[in-house]
Amino acid sequence: MSAGDTRATAGSPLRALSKWAHAVWSRPSASISGLFVLLIATLAALAPLIAPTNPYDLATVSILDGRLPPGQEMFDGTVALLGTDGAGRDVLSAILWGLRTSLIVAISSATIALTVGLTVGLAAAFYGGRLDAFLMRVVDIQLSFPAILVALVLLALLGKGIDKVIIALAIVQWAVYARTVRAAAMVERRKEYFEAATCLELSNGRIIWKHLLPNSVSSLIVLATLQTAHSITIEATLSFLGVGVPITEPSLGSLISNGFDFILSGAYWITFFPGVMLLATVAAINIFGDQLRTIINPRLSR
Amino acid sequence: MFAFILRRSIQSVVVLFVMSLLVFCMINLVGDPVDMLVNPESLPDEIERVRRDFGLDQPVYIQYWQFLKGALSGDLGKSYVFGRPALALMAERFPATLELAFCALIIAVIIGLPLGIYAGLRPDGFATRIIMGMSVLGISIPTFWLGLMMIILFSVILGWLPVSGRGEIGVFLGVESSIFTMDGLKHLIMPATNLALFKIAMVMRLARAGTSEVMAQDFIRFARAKGLPRKRIIKSHLLPNILIPIVTVIGIEFGTLIAFATVTESIFSWPGLGKLVIDAIINLDRPVVVAYLLFVVALFLALNLIVDIIYAALDPRVRLQGDDT
Repeated sequence: MSAGDTRATAGSPLRALSKWAHAVWSRPSASISGLFVLLIATLAALAPLIAPTNPYDLATVSILDGRLPPGQEMFDGTVALLGTDGAGRDVLSAILWGLRTSLIVAISSATIALTVGLTVGLAAAFYGGRLDAFLMRVVDIQLSFPAILVALVLLALLGKGIDKVIIALAIVQWAVYARTVRAAAMVERRKEYFEAATCLELSNGRIIWKHLLPNSVSSLIVLATLQTAHSITIEATLSFLGVGVPITEPSLGSLISNGFDFILSGAYWITFFPGVMLLATVAAINIFGDQLRTIINPRLSR
Repeated sequence: MFAFILRRSIQSVVVLFVMSLLVFCMINLVGDPVDMLVNPESLPDEIERVRRDFGLDQPVYIQYWQFLKGALSGDLGKSYVFGRPALALMAERFPATLELAFCALIIAVIIGLPLGIYAGLRPDGFATRIIMGMSVLGISIPTFWLGLMMIILFSVILGWLPVSGRGEIGVFLGVESSIFTMDGLKHLIMPATNLALFKIAMVMRLARAGTSEVMAQDFIRFARAKGLPRKRIIKSHLLPNILIPIVTVIGIEFGTLIAFATVTESIFSWPGLGKLVIDAIINLDRPVVVAYLLFVVALFLALNLIVDIIYAALDPRVRLQGDDT
């Protein structure tokens, strides 16, 4: 019996993936929210190409265009569909660029957190004993504090900057991944194929990499989706509070914060539309994640 | 039981100590508070004098030692901005935050409980699907943005509610609070609702899960067979049974409400702890940031310990070994 056979008994991850893709396609709410997420990601990726103006090119932005209501024509003839902000930037363009920043921060922090969490979770489950007890204690302690508070503290300690925000968000999230991976890996450990792999005296690295990892990741897909939505919200909140991304590279949160100064004078569009974009993004990812959960593990829903 | 409490208390003290060390050392790497303390046009020797007065010329470990000595006697340092003890500032602001969090909890229960029970009683109803759909939206909506939208709607467009501040404070039975004056209530309602939003969805989900579980039990069937009216069953058989877990979770979540209050307080300029710490972070007011952090860490450690003890007391299956499991 080769190592490949022992893995096959637990189902090939690739086959499972295509099964899920099919299931997503056959559920309207899953495919619609999925497509919406894709659309948002595309908009963010293509922002520099499709945005009507470049909101950070000081040569084209004119203060004379300040606070134009939606639909007005700007000085250079472009129509500001969603109005302009206090400095005369086109709100629509600012939203597209801001979305880009928001997604970059959320996705990079999720990737780092996932990698760290996966490593810690697998190590804890595989080696067990004291290492496991210690790591899980750290996870417990961290998770007993609300994420927004931990992030706030970290940024107070780290200072400003996109890289700092990404680090803070990664630190906030790794514990959730670690706990979930460990739980999944503990279940896999008790299965026969794992025992077979141990009996064959495969190296620890090979068992973890080739057997424990592929079988433990399915639980992570849903979590990673929901966590990304969560970290977009946290980043927006931090930027709104003025401790997140710098003003030179505003995210959706900073745009909303920027509009906060104008709401009393009635210029609602500066803060309203970035918020709608934020809500749409987070809601689409959350709904998609919920649907994925139902597809991957039907028992968990309801 | 006693050994468990002792052990966890020691563990909490260790965590608190490690946190204070980490926070203190790391915060010293960010910015130079002296820039904030003196007029930018001051002469270099004036700047040096201020640096010496605040002990900022010392190496970090000596500064930390000074801080630790002070902390053990209840002195967490003076605010650079206000020139007053950080602890006194926090004690002054804490009632406002407590009031906000408390009202938010009440609102969350008043709205979330009936909706959750309804959804649990009619799991397939049309209204239930709307309620659950709204709860997904409620989780997704950025609370701070919703707060701004509330200001636009209720303050700017309708002009019903004031935008910021705590309003007039009344005294009732020796307790000072905005609840006791009309003006105070007007100021309170918007921030409290905003803060409650997150918890509404949570209370709703708990109530729904509890309801569908309890309604399937034999004693409910018996009450029905006895011919008790539906209202009576809900009031005296369902409610007491689902309230216990809800109250427990709310107790745990109270800490997160205080944490989330930082955001709400910033939007509505509510003069509480959260506003104090955000301003302190932006102004590099180190003593206040450190004091706030230690306070929150202590609060959470205490809440968690209490919850663990209550769980263990209620459910003998919970093993009281802490890190040995």
